[in-house]
Amino acid sequence: MIKWYICGLLFLSFPSLRLSMDRQSKTLEIMRRIGAPKPERIRITGILQSPELASLTLLLPGGISDSTAAVLKLLGTHSINIRFINKYNDSAGNTSLCLCIDTEFLDAALNLLDANDKRLGIRDFMYHPRVKVISIYPHKERPRIAERLLTTLGVNGIHILSVNNASSVISCVLSTEDVEKALASLEDAFELP
Amino acid sequence: MGVTETLEIFPLKVLRNVIQLNFLRIPTRPGATRPLFDLLERHNVSVKFLLEGCAGGMNRDLVICIANDDFFRLEAELKEVTSRMQAQAVEMRRSVAVLRVLGAHFDIRPGTSGLLFEALAQAGIKVLSIATTITSSMFVISDDQVEAAERVIGRTFHVPKKK
Repeated sequence: MIKWYICGLLFLSFPSLRLSMDRQSKTLEIMRRIGAPKPERIRITGILQSPELASLTLLLPGGISDSTAAVLKLLGTHSINIRFINKYNDSAGNTSLCLCIDTEFLDAALNLLDANDKRLGIRDFMYHPRVKVISIYPHKERPRIAERLLTTLGVNGIHILSVNNASSVISCVLSTEDVEKALASLEDAFELP
Repeated sequence: MGVTETLEIFPLKVLRNVIQLNFLRIPTRPGATRPLFDLLERHNVSVKFLLEGCAGGMNRDLVICIANDDFFRLEAELKEVTSRMQAQAVEMRRSVAVLRVLGAHFDIRPGTSGLLFEALAQAGIKVLSIATTITSSMFVISDDQVEAAERVIGRTFHVPKKK
């Protein structure tokens, strides 16, 4: 049986997480006040923002039972467009699969996954109905771009749902409500033309 | 299936002699992965593949691929930064390759990802990790399956010959 969670509600239901992040932000604010040096801005070409999407995170069996291809095929067969994919094996040997799809297809995707959860071996499931993918380019495989992106968003208390690099961009999935704050902080950390 | 015609893609990019490092269950805090990226930057190491996700319990997982040579050069220092990041587990996969399938308009063509990864699965190719955004799909496979994967992709998409 699939457990239905909304990430945002999950986040709110763990006050310790929010408290912990608030404390870290306060610590960093104190560091800023006492004069911790601000790192030099990194020159980039641009920041892209996707239209509003919905994210689905599935926990699937690992190893030979990995059903990632079957999930992607199922959604594709029903004309559900997938704009972002992150797949890897977690420490428990499960396959973690994060997908972003167009928001108007969220209900259809949920119904399809629910109807096929046994066949696909879905072990757990979360979704977020309103996310955006923010991409920075060029990435050019440079570690400091990834570091600055992750640290900047973390310092500003922005919860990152997922990150990946593909080709020349590095992208992160954020809750729509965090996007404005994220863009402002990224514009402060990176130098745009 | 949303895709019916054979899609044309750009020439396949294959990066071989790569190692995949999974840093698992890193406690969530700002700058947690900075020691790793600082080390790689200091030594001019390219990150060929990167993804990060929520690991539950206020932890995060980070997966990167770097060249084998870079790994062996920095092995001792990587152990030290792993400890500083407080990753609760590290997994290594040696002898992997990163493949990049680029274009055309994957982001607006439903079924493209299903077509690609279903074809690879049918051919018995185990895909270790996937990072797809906009028009590009990058994935990690065992190095000894690269030729088979190239044949599968050649049958699935129209791939122009390399110039």
